[in-house]
Amino acid sequence: MKMFFVFFLLLSLGFSQSKVSIQDKEIKINENEAVVEVLGMVCSMCAFGIGEGFAKTDFIDKSKFTDGVSVDIDAQYVQLGLLESTNINPEKIVQVIEDAGYDVNLLYILQNEKLTKFSTDKLGILQPIAFNLTSEIES
Amino acid sequence: MIRKLFVSIILFSAISAHPVIFKNGKVFWITQNPSYNDIRFGVSKTSNWLIGGRFLEDRKSNETFALINNNYLAKRWNNKNSQANLYLLSSVGLNTKNSKSMGTVGINGDWEDRRFMVVQMLEYYSHNSAVVSNTRLAYSPYTVDYSKTSTWLIAQYRMEYSDNKYSYMFIPVVRLFKKNYLVEIGSNGDNAFLSFMTHF
Repeated sequence: MKMFFVFFLLLSLGFSQSKVSIQDKEIKINENEAVVEVLGMVCSMCAFGIGEGFAKTDFIDKSKFTDGVSVDIDAQYVQLGLLESTNINPEKIVQVIEDAGYDVNLLYILQNEKLTKFSTDKLGILQPIAFNLTSEIES
Repeated sequence: MIRKLFVSIILFSAISAHPVIFKNGKVFWITQNPSYNDIRFGVSKTSNWLIGGRFLEDRKSNETFALINNNYLAKRWNNKNSQANLYLLSSVGLNTKNSKSMGTVGINGDWEDRRFMVVQMLEYYSHNSAVVSNTRLAYSPYTVDYSKTSTWLIAQYRMEYSDNKYSYMFIPVVRLFKKNYLVEIGSNGDNAFLSFMTHF
């Protein structure tokens, strides 16, 4: 019984998962991941620069996806693996996308079992629009 | 309305394959068209400014030029599932044989989504006072994800004004690209077009 409890506890830690929606596509997001809707990302040569940009940062977990980045051009989003020890500043993610020449529309970050949704306002400033979407998190 | 008309006129009168790339990205680009052999290497210092070197050979006059190339992304429209760009292009340098100065200026605009692309480019060459216009309409018969090869079928119409006369040419071109590599091959039976580009 005790072993079962420990196993269940370990399973629940670090395995939180949620679902987010980008352009009507439902995407599973796990603990220490981010999903970014990228406006203007219409070809693989466009997306290459985004991958190169994230490869040079210090917050990407390169063990996830392909060197920490997964690209979906059809639904215009990138999914990022984030290092567990890093409390990510969302502005850093936006900066990489903008340095590649594109714009962020929506950004979701799931860290510390907390899913936060950000959106850029009319001035292009990133604003958190929903915190602690814990009801959406499945453990 | 006037603004929309202005933007439309620029897009359809003036537009290539991203003359400016991601910040600190490098580009190597070789193009051979009926008038020029063109080799370029550049570095995007920011996401809207690329500077580099260009070696240009005029195939008609057999003149060759060593140039500094400067591309500026004046405006980008990033939209859901589409993108449009307006670039200002310039090169300055010397004729490699007689050291005479030479320059080019150009304007380049494009609009693309996952299936269609419109590109228009106007460029002026000072050594022969030539104005070259390249218009492209392109269609991708299928869409692919990031890791697969994308194919575009391009109708390219080229107009050149030099020596007080106009010359026109139509060349069908096939564009293939995968990740950071792009190849274009075209021919109309009399003339050929070839281009290779990589970003890194």
